[in-house]
Amino acid sequence: MKLPSRAQLLRIFLNERSKHKGRPLYEVIVEAAQQHGLAGATVLRGLLGYGGKSGRIRTMKILRLSENMPMVVEIVDDSAKIDSFLPLLDDLIEEGMVTVQETNVITYRVDNHAQR
Amino acid sequence: MLQKLILLGIAGALGTISRYGLAGLVQKVTGAQFPWGTLIVNLTGCFLAGFLWASSLHRLQLTGEARIIILVGFMGAFTTFSTYMLETGELMRNAEWVHAFWNLFLHSSIGLIALFTGIAIGRHL
Repeated sequence: MKLPSRAQLLRIFLNERSKHKGRPLYEVIVEAAQQHGLAGATVLRGLLGYGGKSGRIRTMKILRLSENMPMVVEIVDDSAKIDSFLPLLDDLIEEGMVTVQETNVITYRVDNHAQR
Repeated sequence: MLQKLILLGIAGALGTISRYGLAGLVQKVTGAQFPWGTLIVNLTGCFLAGFLWASSLHRLQLTGEARIIILVGFMGAFTTFSTYMLETGELMRNAEWVHAFWNLFLHSSIGLIALFTGIAIGRHL
């Protein structure tokens, strides 16, 4: 797979509790991205954050405030693929934020000999 | 024996729910900088443990079994050492050394003060 040097970075801001039909939404999104043929996806767990309805700060530092931590799914691919994936995301996300920004891919190397 | 285990379980459940509620309320008011919720819960627990222990020995007509159910069941679930250590550990991992020190110090020092205050009140009330 080859990524163009000018690509798009798709970011989906969610939280741990976000679900789609009982499954963690971030998992569903990553699987959907894979099935859609996107180059890759990474899920990141935030250490601290706030947003959404409650506006309360969530932090890993204090156990009682560590419920429902923020999560971010990041995907980089060409604009046509990202654009075609967005309607699918719209059906999945009930609460969250989706951003798209232009990005430069400096290096994208895949080990062709790596085992699956 | 079975009745004791059931009562211990119920007391434990009440202790856990009380801790969850109180810690959450305190943390909501104090914000996300310092684990005040766990500290307040543990200090409250130290005071109550001292008070109930002293009261049960000197004032209240409590059986040994009732004492165990309250002190082990309820108080054991109400207070938490593991969360205290987890939160101190997280403060240290974030290099918040001053906060980590204060968490350790306040738990130990005020905890003992709260315990002996509870004992004193429990004896004389």
